Amino acid sequence: MLWHYCKLGLKMKMHCFTQKMFCTSSLSPLQLPSRMETHLWYVLPNEVKSQSLLSQYVDLLSPIEKDHVFSMRGDELQKGALLARALVRTTISRYQIHSRVSPSSLVFRKNIHGKPEVIWEQSDDWHPPSLHFNLSHTSSLIACGVTVGSPIGIDVEEKQRTTKNNILSFAKRYFSCEEVKVLSAISDPEVQRHEFIKLWTLKEAYVKALGIGFSGAPFNTFTIRVGAANSNPEGSAIVVVPLEKPTNLTTNWQFAQVELAGSHYAAICRQNDGLSGGAMEVIVRKTIPLVEEHHVTTIDPIVPVDDFS
Amino acid sequence: MASIAPGSFIPSLKPNQTFTRASNFNAVSLAVNGKFFPSLKLSSAPSRFRVSCAATPETVDKVCNIVRKQLALGDDAAVTGESKFASLGADSLDTVEIVMGLEEEFGISVEEESAQTIATVQDAADMIEKLISKN
Repeated sequence: MLWHYCKLGLKMKMHCFTQKMFCTSSLSPLQLPSRMETHLWYVLPNEVKSQSLLSQYVDLLSPIEKDHVFSMRGDELQKGALLARALVRTTISRYQIHSRVSPSSLVFRKNIHGKPEVIWEQSDDWHPPSLHFNLSHTSSLIACGVTVGSPIGIDVEEKQRTTKNNILSFAKRYFSCEEVKVLSAISDPEVQRHEFIKLWTLKEAYVKALGIGFSGAPFNTFTIRVGAANSNPEGSAIVVVPLEKPTNLTTNWQFAQVELAGSHYAAICRQNDGLSGGAMEVIVRKTIPLVEEHHVTTIDPIVPVDDFS
Repeated sequence: MASIAPGSFIPSLKPNQTFTRASNFNAVSLAVNGKFFPSLKLSSAPSRFRVSCAATPETVDKVCNIVRKQLALGDDAAVTGESKFASLGADSLDTVEIVMGLEEEFGISVEEESAQTIATVQDAADMIEKLISKN
């Protein structure tokens, strides 16, 4: 069975450079991210075809999660929902946290704003790590970000995503004035669409990192400012600027943008502890839960477009 | 390696169940003041026997059409008042676009707080009726 899955892995089309491939028949342990690292895991639903594997994923889920998966309309949506839960459960349980943690034993809840979190078993002799995670999915890619010691928000979108509404109309309705100006200044509609998608993912990632919901941080109450690549070599090129005073929006957050599988933009937002010198260290792994993972070593960090003429 | 055949997605649990129509059990998710409650299962009562909400059937139909268009579901896709946006595959960008489409269609303005509480087509239609009656 294991050999079969390994052979399966070798036949799959790779969209990224890879360094190491592991066949994981069971869940081999992982080192927790250091406080300066962010781990980003992703799975491509198109690459998960085995019905028996999907059945194994179902067995990992809680009854509420199973209900949720089956409430989705159609096979593809059900598969996506299933993979998302399988990804979260298998990934988190692998971090060397506690010998009694298995993917199916993890208990999740939502905070009062609806952000999911793990409930760890409490005992006198064990203090759970400050492990945070956040999920995002599109129909063609599901991603999970993991940090230690910092809340995290991630958002992924297909690079080819189009909007039903005109981009500037949408931006005028939902984004800040400064962001509308930046988008309006882009003359090429394709470039404009790509920059819109990237900005959307950054704003989503911030709101998800805050964990207070869309209404807690309406998109037009803050600007995500993407600076020129060489304007601040030490610091992050992306900052969040709240627009209202007073504001409940905090600014000690750092951002990163990566491309995944050549097909998706991913934005990551986590707290800026001031120690890591600005640039976020992101370790990306492509995975098929219970089967394999590939450490993606060559990421294209998205360079901010600073010349729109 | 077997690929997934339609209708037999998870054979051990839901054999031959297709989801082209609304499922037999009605799962309603309540979102109140931004707090999300787990789904409640109602017995399969037809929607006309539900406690009447403010929205007219015409409003519900218009919302269904906007949702179908946004999610590219096709004119005959089964979308009703009870359909949950998330279950239809709407992500956050879709939901925001749907709200924008509703604002244009009905000439209303939706606050972010209200937008967050909309989980089903019916929720959206009820909110629209409330906003229209305020105008």
